[in-house]
Amino acid sequence: MGATTGEHERILGGPLTDGLSSFVAAAHELKSPLALVRQLSLTLEDGDVTPVERSRMLRQISLTSERALRLTSDLTRSVRLSDAMFTLEPINPQQLCEDIIRELKPLFAAHDRDVKFVPNKNPLLLVANRDLLRRILINFSDNALYYAESNMSVEIRIGSINKGETIRLGVRDYGPALPINTLKSLKSKLTQASTPIHARPQSSGLGLYIAGQFADAMNGKIGVTQHRDGATFYIDLQASRQLSLL
Amino acid sequence: MNGASVLIVEDDKWLAEQHQRVLTKAGFKATIALHAIAAIHAIDEVHPKVIILDVLLTGNTAFALMHELQSYGDTGGIPIILCTNLASELTIENVAPYGVKRIINKATMVPADLVAAVRSVLQ
Repeated sequence: MGATTGEHERILGGPLTDGLSSFVAAAHELKSPLALVRQLSLTLEDGDVTPVERSRMLRQISLTSERALRLTSDLTRSVRLSDAMFTLEPINPQQLCEDIIRELKPLFAAHDRDVKFVPNKNPLLLVANRDLLRRILINFSDNALYYAESNMSVEIRIGSINKGETIRLGVRDYGPALPINTLKSLKSKLTQASTPIHARPQSSGLGLYIAGQFADAMNGKIGVTQHRDGATFYIDLQASRQLSLL
Repeated sequence: MNGASVLIVEDDKWLAEQHQRVLTKAGFKATIALHAIAAIHAIDEVHPKVIILDVLLTGNTAFALMHELQSYGDTGGIPIILCTNLASELTIENVAPYGVKRIINKATMVPADLVAAVRSVLQ
C-alpha cells in the first residue's frame, strides 16, 4: 500500500515514468481549465455579453473550477497515500455508482452530454476504500466526458470476472468511430507489444496515474479496453466474500 | 475580410464556443469542429479561409490533421493558427512547413489576440 512503485506504473508508462516530474504534469493538467476560466472571465469583464450568455459563462466557470479543484484534491490525496491508513471495507458498488452519477449529471448536462449507470442484474459487493474508489470513477468519467460524442451517453458499468472473484467497474465512452481497417491495424500493433494505458491526448495522463496509485492502495488494478468507437477504462477489485455469507 | 469563414478545431467545447463568440462578434463566420475527423468534414462544407487549431486533440493530433491537409492541393494552402497550451514548446520555424502562420499561447492570450491573428493571416 502507498505511493511506492506499483503495477500501474509499469502499465501506464505515464507522465511520471517519462521523466516528467509530477509538478510539471500537474501544471500542464491545470493549464487547460485555468486558461478557459481566464478567457471566460476576460470576456465577462469586457461586459459585452447578453444576460443568457453571462449566466452560461458563469456556470462554465464554476464547473471548470470544480474540475481543477478535484485534480488538486486528488494530487494532495495521492501524495499522502504513503503516510495514511485507508480502511478497506465491503462496499456496494451499485450504491456508489448511483451517487457518482447524481454528482456528475450537472457537469455532463452542461456539456450537452449524459452519464448513466448500467447496473448488474446480480447484487455485488467488493472490498475497497469508498473515497478512493469514488475518486477513480470520477476521474475515469471526467476523462470520458471530453472524448464522448455529444449525442452519446457515458456509461458506468459493473460486472464480475474470474468466476466472481473480481469485480470490474468500467466507464465506457463512445467517441468518433475508427474505420474498421484502421481498428484492425491498431489491434494488430497492440498485440505485438504491451501498450500503456494512455490518457486522452489533451491530458498529461496525470489523472490516470493518480487513479493507478489509488488502485494500488486498494490492491486493485486499472486498465483500458479500446473499442472501435471509444474506450472502457476500468478498475478491478477483489470481490467481498461477505455476500456469500448472506 | 469580414465575414470570412474560420474553422475552430478545439476539443474543449466551451473554449471552442468562447473562440466562436469572439470571432463572430468581430464579424467572422466561425464554425467549430471538436476533433480531427469532424474538422475534415467541416473543411469540405465551410471552405475555411483560416483554421484555428489546438495541438492536443482527442483522437488524431493536430499534426496528423495538418499532415493530411498538406497532402491535398486545395487544403494545403489554408493558413493555420495554432492555439495551444504548448506554445512555449513550439517555434514557428518548426511548424511552418505544416502551413502554420501564427502560434497563440492559450495560457496568456486575451480574446482580442485571436481576432488580430486571424486578421493578420488574411491580409
